[in-house]
Amino acid sequence: MMPVGTASVPYLTIIATGRNDDFGGDFNGRFFRALHFNHRQLAAAGIAHEFVFVEWRPIDKRPLLASLLADEFAGLSSLALRSYVVDPEYHEAFSLNPRLQFQEFIAKNVGLRRARGEFVLTTNTDIYFSRGVIARLQEATLEPGVLYRAARHDLMSDLDVSDIDWDLLEDERNCEVVNGIRPPLFTNASGDFLLLDRQTSDRLRGFNEVYRVAKIHIDGNYCMKAYTSGVRIVDIGAPVYHVGRGTLHAMRGMYSGRPGDAPWGDVRWKSDVVYENGDGWGLGLAPERVIDRGTTFLAFDWQAVGPMVDLQRVVSPGAPQERAL
Amino acid sequence: MKRPPRILGLVRGSSYDALTEQHSKAEARAGRLAQQLEETKADSRGWKGKTEEATSALKKAQDAAATAQKQLRQAEKQRDEQSRNARKLKDESDKLRKLQEARAAELALLKQRLAESERDLIVAREQLMAIEVKLDILEGAANVLDGRTRDIATRRSGGVGTESGSAV
Repeated sequence: MMPVGTASVPYLTIIATGRNDDFGGDFNGRFFRALHFNHRQLAAAGIAHEFVFVEWRPIDKRPLLASLLADEFAGLSSLALRSYVVDPEYHEAFSLNPRLQFQEFIAKNVGLRRARGEFVLTTNTDIYFSRGVIARLQEATLEPGVLYRAARHDLMSDLDVSDIDWDLLEDERNCEVVNGIRPPLFTNASGDFLLLDRQTSDRLRGFNEVYRVAKIHIDGNYCMKAYTSGVRIVDIGAPVYHVGRGTLHAMRGMYSGRPGDAPWGDVRWKSDVVYENGDGWGLGLAPERVIDRGTTFLAFDWQAVGPMVDLQRVVSPGAPQERAL
Repeated sequence: MKRPPRILGLVRGSSYDALTEQHSKAEARAGRLAQQLEETKADSRGWKGKTEEATSALKKAQDAAATAQKQLRQAEKQRDEQSRNARKLKDESDKLRKLQEARAAELALLKQRLAESERDLIVAREQLMAIEVKLDILEGAANVLDGRTRDIATRRSGGVGTESGSAV
């Protein structure tokens, strides 16, 4: 079997974010299980990969999730597993909505900016790759300039995942919902699988850092940004799996009558409007300090925080095409 | 002996025979002539019938010719009328075609204006959405700054700050 990618330039960078807050229940356990599974499958297929974990707004007086992760995956080299712990002051500095407790997509931008892989995948911590996704990566036929999406299959939440394998994931009896994706934007749980080449990713400059009033639909907004920037979006042709319907689904009903109060922001925001992140996107100007093997701390510096309001960077979706003409 | 005098109606035997034969011949001929007469009469009646038939056929043909003539005249009249109608229709058609061309040009213009309006509408909608996003950002920034100002003010006055938002 020919290896795909090398250790110095892996074929794939997998970016996820979280913190030690038990979000959604047994957050760390779900994260580690999925990571073990995905790493096992990628390694078995000979796909050189690295994990980039970004710990956003770490919780005071609790162990860093990055440290727990390093302990859990002690066998991985500091190149194969890299963690970035972001000074919690950045959360306050970036906030445009105090109800948002976790700036998930700015955190993912931290990972995107520092990815080394030929292709970069932003996903969530409890997502399992399917056999088809692994096979597609193993073929090494992904094209540059294409944003690949995968439909998320939600499995029954009461499934015993202590010994998870593809047979369990692929068993149709365990599937509760298929989050279908359709052209041209292929949104719908897009935050769980956004895969494209690093050059294009750098050109797009990550998720929206200008509109920080909501985090919901920022993933779909990224698809729109890619689409209006001339990036082709395609279905990779195989699913990813998630156990349960997700925290958002569980809590959504609570805020149906007062969407403005939701902890993910107002679902009604105009997410077709795109953006141009500044040069310092993804905390590019944040001072870095290695705090442990494979773990880097991004210290707070106002230089690394863009203006609170930068309306020139709000872009009408038609405008880039008009500019192209 | 002397011949018996004819005056007495006496003829010789040979003459009598000859006369008898002549008489028979004459009768036969008369019979044939009578038969021929009858045949001729019959022919004559036949020809007369045929003549009557021919006359009748001729009459019919004349009638038919007259009818055909009449029909021809009517057809010619109709043809003339149709020609007039055709010319009239052609004129109307030309008029309609010109009208249609004018309407088509007008429609194309309207379509173009509609497409322009749709484009303008899309641009306006996009700009409106962008403005809404900008207003969201401004409102968010104003709220955050307001919260920070209140915290500072509360700390300065020694009171207890209120935490904005809900932790989830």
